Amino acid sequence: MNSIILGIESTAHTAGVGIITSEGEILSNQRSVYIPEKGAGIHPREAANHHSENLPKLFKKAFEEANISSDDISLVSYARGPGLGPCLRTGATAARAFAYSNDIPLLGVNHCVAHLEIGLLEGAKDPVLLYLSGANTQVIAYAAGRYRVFGETIDIGIGNGLDKFAREAGMGFPGGPKLEKIAEGDELIDLPYSVKGMDLAFSGLMTAAKQKVDSGYSLPKVAYSVQETAFAMSCEVSERALAHTGKTELVLGGGVACNSRLREMAMIMAKERGVKCFVPERALCVDNGVMIAWLGYQMMNADYEITDKDNVVNQKYRTDMVEVTWR
Amino acid sequence: MKFRGAEAIVETIEWNGKTVVSKKRNRRGYRHPSLEKKLVVERLRSESRIMERLLSQGISVPAIYSVNLSDNSILMEFIDGLTLERALRKSEFEDYLVKTAEILSTIHSLKIVHGDPTTSNFLVTDRIYAIDFGLSSISDDDEDRASDLRVFLESLDSHHSEINGRDIFLEVYSNWKDANPVLEALKVLELRGRYNLMRG
Repeated sequence: MNSIILGIESTAHTAGVGIITSEGEILSNQRSVYIPEKGAGIHPREAANHHSENLPKLFKKAFEEANISSDDISLVSYARGPGLGPCLRTGATAARAFAYSNDIPLLGVNHCVAHLEIGLLEGAKDPVLLYLSGANTQVIAYAAGRYRVFGETIDIGIGNGLDKFAREAGMGFPGGPKLEKIAEGDELIDLPYSVKGMDLAFSGLMTAAKQKVDSGYSLPKVAYSVQETAFAMSCEVSERALAHTGKTELVLGGGVACNSRLREMAMIMAKERGVKCFVPERALCVDNGVMIAWLGYQMMNADYEITDKDNVVNQKYRTDMVEVTWR
Repeated sequence: MKFRGAEAIVETIEWNGKTVVSKKRNRRGYRHPSLEKKLVVERLRSESRIMERLLSQGISVPAIYSVNLSDNSILMEFIDGLTLERALRKSEFEDYLVKTAEILSTIHSLKIVHGDPTTSNFLVTDRIYAIDFGLSSISDDDEDRASDLRVFLESLDSHHSEINGRDIFLEVYSNWKDANPVLEALKVLELRGRYNLMRG
């Protein structure tokens, strides 16, 4: 039977409500993003305030767009981690209130795994996921019952690094897309390229980039070089993971995967390697409720049994803590 | 044998009447040309120098026959063995882990870090060979050494989660007299990276 699932996302900047059918048809994908004051990073409590103000509106819009009522929903799924505590609790509270008042089953799911699973909706079967977002920079693939992290940043997330560099160069949030817009040039400024096995590091690169700007290089040229270097590193570690696991599909996920240059580089790498590259549309790469709903559906469809511990938020809910019972 | 690794095509060829391994770094179209050139030359030079240094110290690594900067290739000895990744599925896995820990600590004691010591980068014959020094570097920094340990333990965990190799490996590694600060650095690294669970 075709059922309808509602998903709630609230792990960091984004409050999202998504509605998807069990056939994978997206009925609505509503999002609202908290923008910190210029020059400042995310403030967890203020982000949570933003989410609690906006989630009711997003619910309303989502139901309007999907043209359904709460009676049509068979599962409420929400991201229970990883993320910022106040933000997670706000989303969980909204999910509980909605599920319990309408007598619908409730399931908390892992945010990072949702990024991967939504890539499978694009047609990938057993991919390596290059997951690049603000706080997360991981290369993930399925092995022996879990999504395992083959490589990841050993200091800061790529998106947070780009945001920080942009902020220090006087640009507002989100810094990554702003850098992409101004990036220009074809000559590369030498910046630290830091790959250790399948792991990466970005903080040295961002610090060096800031120093280049301070010493007189033009911001667009430095932005260009930062992108070239950081994305080449990301493509290299995913290529290493592909070689290491022998898998033949690559999926991109996370907000930074919206970047056109990154998408281009990943596609070139996949083509040269002879693997398939799946790039979800931008609205599904960024944090969103649809992917949360879709993962919830995958789990329930495999007769996942919800226990009390599934409905406790967990700020430190790692990708490899999830037992994958639905594959 | 022909194998497309992460950054090079590795194949066996006939050379002066014997079978040797050719490792040729092919161009990465996604990388900026000047970054590509810099990385390829850096890695080729460092790889061959470091392997020479290990060879001269009697460490089991393939012997180098020739380095060619014009086509970014290295010719080296062909080691006819099983990758550690496969060998660890055998019942003698403990013995292999012990020997691997010994070779990695010896490499570290010579102020060299491997850079990518996954279970695919060791070959098992009657002894254990370390291969693929493409990401290796000269360093006596305990954090770099710890990073090697982490790469190894992580590939152990992700590929061989059915065996508890971590304890065996670290116990043997700790026999090296300078192991302690490395193991301390490993703790810090694990707290900072993968096991620092505070992610959003």
